[in-house]
Amino acid sequence: MANRWFVLESPLLEASFVAGRSFRMYGKKRGNRRTGSKALASVGEAVVFAFFFVLGTGFMVLLVRMPVLPEWRVNHDFVETTGVVERVQVSQPTDGSQGYRAAVLIQYNAGGKTRRHWTYDISFDTAWASSSDRQSQQALIDRFVPGKAYPVWYDPRDPDTVVVARGYSGWLWSLLLLPASFIVIGGGGLIYAGLQWGKSAERLAAQAQLAPRFEQFDDSAAAKDFPNVPRDANLTNSPGTRLKYRLPIITTNGWRLAALTLLALVWNGIVVALLVMAVRRAISGRPDVWLFVFVVPFLAGGLGLIYFLVRQAVIASGVGPTQLEVSDHPLFPGRHYDLLLSQIGRLTMKSLAVDLVCEEQATFRQGTDTRTHTCRVYQKRIFDRQAFDIPQGLAFQQQCRVEIPPEAMHSLQADHNLVQWKFVVRGEAGGWPPFERSFPIVVYPNPAGGRRPEAISKPWRQEESPHFSHKAPLNGDSLRL
Amino acid sequence: MKTLVHNHAVGRFMREPLCSIVLDKSQRIHQPGEMLRGEYQIDAVDPADILAVELSVLWYTEGKGDEDLAVHYFERHTPDDGGPPMLHELHRFEVVLPNSPLSYEGVLIKLRWCVRLRVFLRQGKDVIAERDFQLGEVPYARPVKT
Repeated sequence: MANRWFVLESPLLEASFVAGRSFRMYGKKRGNRRTGSKALASVGEAVVFAFFFVLGTGFMVLLVRMPVLPEWRVNHDFVETTGVVERVQVSQPTDGSQGYRAAVLIQYNAGGKTRRHWTYDISFDTAWASSSDRQSQQALIDRFVPGKAYPVWYDPRDPDTVVVARGYSGWLWSLLLLPASFIVIGGGGLIYAGLQWGKSAERLAAQAQLAPRFEQFDDSAAAKDFPNVPRDANLTNSPGTRLKYRLPIITTNGWRLAALTLLALVWNGIVVALLVMAVRRAISGRPDVWLFVFVVPFLAGGLGLIYFLVRQAVIASGVGPTQLEVSDHPLFPGRHYDLLLSQIGRLTMKSLAVDLVCEEQATFRQGTDTRTHTCRVYQKRIFDRQAFDIPQGLAFQQQCRVEIPPEAMHSLQADHNLVQWKFVVRGEAGGWPPFERSFPIVVYPNPAGGRRPEAISKPWRQEESPHFSHKAPLNGDSLRL
Repeated sequence: MKTLVHNHAVGRFMREPLCSIVLDKSQRIHQPGEMLRGEYQIDAVDPADILAVELSVLWYTEGKGDEDLAVHYFERHTPDDGGPPMLHELHRFEVVLPNSPLSYEGVLIKLRWCVRLRVFLRQGKDVIAERDFQLGEVPYARPVKT
């Protein structure tokens, strides 16, 4: 039972004293925060996992005892001898259940005694030996010719138990996966609950944080010296043509196009099936008017999807690629960096702009949903250009200079909360809808440890005037492809 | 100073321990790499009632997102772990503060640093006291209209 306390600070002693607030057995839940009995929650969690564990164990024992262990013994413990087939037939089980089963009357010697038994495999007298498919059972016994000798296997503990067919029934063994998964989930959950029992959130967090120390490959500066600052390995593995690094682009269009393609395929597949059905009925002289009426709106929706898909594909491929290069990475507050913007494609640009942007991203659970909210907390225009052409075979290039604000919050990556810096390129070309492309960057904490004195009293805010650090003539920096 | 509070678990008024955390530096703002020094003490409790004491220097998030929490420094003492036998007495601690994450007062995210003292009592309860401090000097953020 954890009890949370308000802290009362004494200015004289610089000490904090505590006063209590009431404890609730049940309370509101939002995400991971829960006001209520932690012990009760742990017990409930353990009970659920114990239920899964017991269920899985019981099912596993049943499966092992019924089909698995007997089959294993037939293949490993049973003694091989020779028996003479007297009769073969497809019979119905003696327990009165429906179906057919293969049966072979075999005569063999075991334990110094001649024995005769109807049998086939080890499941001969069980419910799952019978099948509704008579032909498949007949096929099993077709290889046995009455009067001929065949190898048979009998149980040394009980020589009356004999089989003429060995092997494993794969589907029965695959059933083991079901109880095994229950055991793993339940057992793992019980171990997890046991490890967490009676431990504080801080102790658990401290234990969890010990694990990365043993990760040999997590040796980046960010991981060691700058906790919770994201690693920049993926941002610095591509060299630029003029500046040090070419930044990767955040692509969302690819997934959107893939999802749209899948939707269009499924939707139109259903429409085609319905259309074929309607046309066949019409051809056969039994036209179904209501089916046609039903299909028409679906057909319209399918055609609309195809149009939208084609349009999106043309937009994605029509506006040429955008590239950004940066003179160094990671970036530090208060320092200046060069930035090279490159836009390819034969385009009549209405506008092209680059912004330095910082966004907060918070992920939270609401009921069973996981939601993510984003809020932009910094935006500064780095470059802005209106009304110009990018000729065929030329890339528009513009070098700018950007300053990371000295008081900037660094990039932050936690499980549910992010502070993300990025460059955002926005463009609008004649004949095309506006496009926006993002290039993530990592901003490290201010090496000076603090902010500029003059910045203390004012929050970050959007710059009112665009910042141009380099006004090169159009195409003056262009590069021939 | 002692506080009497109602314990709903046992349905009666009982005396709760007073936990104090004192940081040597009077200013609330600390810089990355700086040594954080302080001391803590537990009062108004029978020492025999204390099962364990945990001191953590940690950060946690508040705001719209689910809470993230990470512990930078952690120490746990029990009467029989070979540490100080009298858990309620004054103990000192010192920690080198990390380079990140810095304290942050964002719009969706608030990142707070604190020294947290958790006292486990024999009757099954645990009592928490916190002393907030600020790591770095990042100004508060405001939303940008896009």
